[in-house]
Amino acid sequence: MNPVLEVRDLAKAFGGIRAVNGVSFDVREGEILGLIGPNGSGKSTLFNCILGQLAPSAGEVRIDGRGITGMRPCQLNRLGVGRTFQLLQVFPQLTVRENLILAGQEHQKSMWGRLVGRRDAGLGEAADRMIEFFRLSALAQEKAGSLSYGQQKLLDVAMAFMAGPRLVLLDEPAGGVNPTMLAGLRERLREINAMQRATFVVIEHNMEFVMSLCTRVLVLAEGRIISEGTPEEVRADPKVIEAYLGG
Amino acid sequence: MLPAFFVLAAMKFGGLSFTWALLVGLLVALLVLGLLFKQLVVDPILRHGVLPLVISTLGLALLMKEGVKEFYSAEAQGFPSPWGGTNLTVFGAVISAQSLVIIAVAIAAVGLLQWFLAGTRTGRQMQATAQNPQLARVLGIPVDRMILYTFLVNAALVALASFLVSPIYLAKFTNGELLGLAAFVAAIVGGFNQVRGAIVGGLLLGVADNFVAAYWSAQYRAAIPLFLLIAVILWRPQGLLGRAEERTV
Amino acid sequence: MIALVAAPFGLKPYGIYLLSLWVVMTIAAIGLNLTLGYAGQISLAQGAFVGIGAYAAALLTTSGWPLWMAFLLAIALSLAIGWLLGYPALRVQHHYLAFVTLSFATLVFLMLRNEEWLTKGVYGISGIPRPTLFGWAAKAPIAFYFFCLGILTLVSLATWWLVRSPWGRAFTALRENPIRADSLGVDTRRYTLMAFAIGSALGGISGVLYAPLVQFIEPTAFNLNLSLNLLLMVMVGGSGYFLGPFLGAAVSVLLPEWARFGSDALYLIMYAIAVMVLMAFCPSGLLGLAHRVLKR
Repeated sequence: MNPVLEVRDLAKAFGGIRAVNGVSFDVREGEILGLIGPNGSGKSTLFNCILGQLAPSAGEVRIDGRGITGMRPCQLNRLGVGRTFQLLQVFPQLTVRENLILAGQEHQKSMWGRLVGRRDAGLGEAADRMIEFFRLSALAQEKAGSLSYGQQKLLDVAMAFMAGPRLVLLDEPAGGVNPTMLAGLRERLREINAMQRATFVVIEHNMEFVMSLCTRVLVLAEGRIISEGTPEEVRADPKVIEAYLGG
Repeated sequence: MLPAFFVLAAMKFGGLSFTWALLVGLLVALLVLGLLFKQLVVDPILRHGVLPLVISTLGLALLMKEGVKEFYSAEAQGFPSPWGGTNLTVFGAVISAQSLVIIAVAIAAVGLLQWFLAGTRTGRQMQATAQNPQLARVLGIPVDRMILYTFLVNAALVALASFLVSPIYLAKFTNGELLGLAAFVAAIVGGFNQVRGAIVGGLLLGVADNFVAAYWSAQYRAAIPLFLLIAVILWRPQGLLGRAEERTV
Repeated sequence: MIALVAAPFGLKPYGIYLLSLWVVMTIAAIGLNLTLGYAGQISLAQGAFVGIGAYAAALLTTSGWPLWMAFLLAIALSLAIGWLLGYPALRVQHHYLAFVTLSFATLVFLMLRNEEWLTKGVYGISGIPRPTLFGWAAKAPIAFYFFCLGILTLVSLATWWLVRSPWGRAFTALRENPIRADSLGVDTRRYTLMAFAIGSALGGISGVLYAPLVQFIEPTAFNLNLSLNLLLMVMVGGSGYFLGPFLGAAVSVLLPEWARFGSDALYLIMYAIAVMVLMAFCPSGLLGLAHRVLKR
């Protein structure tokens, strides 16, 4: 069975700095792949190259066998790829419900269809379900800008799932979320992964979060993959320990 | 436009001679167009964003125009010129002494400014503030005062321009708009963060404008700066001589 | 709403003219509010589109064509040119975009002034007739006022629908967070071009009404000052608020006239100071101020 995501020899250089230096890996359907590594190892750059935010210097990316290198983010989204951002990115002036409807609306019919069709693009119930799923019901009509940081994070994640994507790349979803919410977040992610048969790639610094959520883990250091395997294998790998502690 | 009227008012209401009036005009310009402009208009509004500031300056322009029209005169006023209407003949072309003086003063002003910014301690502090205000603050540079100096320098240059131009175009409350726009365009075309850029931009603009007017179409001469502006913004936004600055996303 | 219908009946012709002018300017301001307030794209060229619409109307109607054809022509032209004007917005933003649109506006003005074979240049076009609707002549001031009011109502309803539709949501996303919007499948390029096109089209419609209102047009009315004035209307009324343009146009068109009665000489100065103070204390305009007050 074809992997959902294939990355081959991806490289990205900024001037003389090689942020990503020849990275190749596959992600199979339904997997939750963790991507860890010390600061500056190139994780976010890798994401941005896969997702069309940056143009890679070399290499290619395929989704379901289809080359997507260099596609614009909105095109990727329509192919079924979603993402969350490291820096919080919700729409502060829209309500929570509106944020979610926006997140899914560009998949409904055509642009002109959206002009004359229903106000909520037929997504009202889906948005409500998502709100309930992420336990945000009390905040549905609040402007997103007035939510707490952790709540905005949950909204951010929820938005990535509105369009029912096949592949979701999450950039530090646990960052800044308090421990009580963290457990809930992990549960929600596991549930969605099972429900939608979606595939995840997760960048994280929170070791406990990654190890308890992911089925497989890649370790990146200085733009290269230095280790790969189940959470337990990677945790015990001496190369990994050295990358984090060594200098 | 305004500094010229400060001078005229000093002569009319204060009875000062031209030279003293020039000095008073310069000082008042520094005060009003430099200090007061910064404290009363720019500082309170800039933190709300650029667009509100644009609207405010529109209001300010209206205020200045109407103020002069109401409190001084709506008619064009003669402005004295120390070098009269003498003309020189250079290589067969007739050039007015006025034009030569303007060129000389412009070059001198830019040279002086360049020396000030690169050669004196205050000037270098100002450059540091422009490049990285937070770091400048940490290093003990009085950032707010540096910004004030920028406004003062601008006020002084504007006053100088006003004194040089008013003898030719007379002093009228509608003056300045065309010149202001040209100055803007010249600054952008030349490069916003380079002093030499301003002179390159201004020179390029002035020459192109007059060549087009004389040899091609007088009616579309005003289009030249606009085309230059569009071309520069779309293909080289840092200006011809400017350094590319990183945009924060 | 009732006030608008009843308003002209007590007024002298000049008052009715002012009211009609307010209606016409509001339409242009609604367009700019769409481009700037909702989609976050700065345009200093709205005045040029009013000019395009006005000249389209003037040229067609003085040659005997009916006004509705002028509407069609103006809308088609403004949509197309507005769409093209959107392309620079894909490359640059904020003050750079402002300069590009400013240049465009001045270029249009220059063309209107210089191409005398078409526009009669500085001599202007006079004797612009007012339309006849199914036999009802909208010639008298009050009749024409109601005609304009009718168009304003249509435009308002259409804009309300647009803003509440998924497109409106996409415009807001474009304004607040274009990167995020892109990653959610919002085609930011297309929506940016659309914002410019639609906003400009409303400017064109405004122009088509402006010509028969003043019955004599010449290029100076459509120079940069008009674009700046429209910008002022949008910001003072409240950028991004639906009723902002209505309020802003009222302030810009009616307030100076009203203040004139109070103090003949100083009314413009007071207006200028008022605008500056407003921007210092409430940059989100009058409606923003009202919003803030109501929230307490």
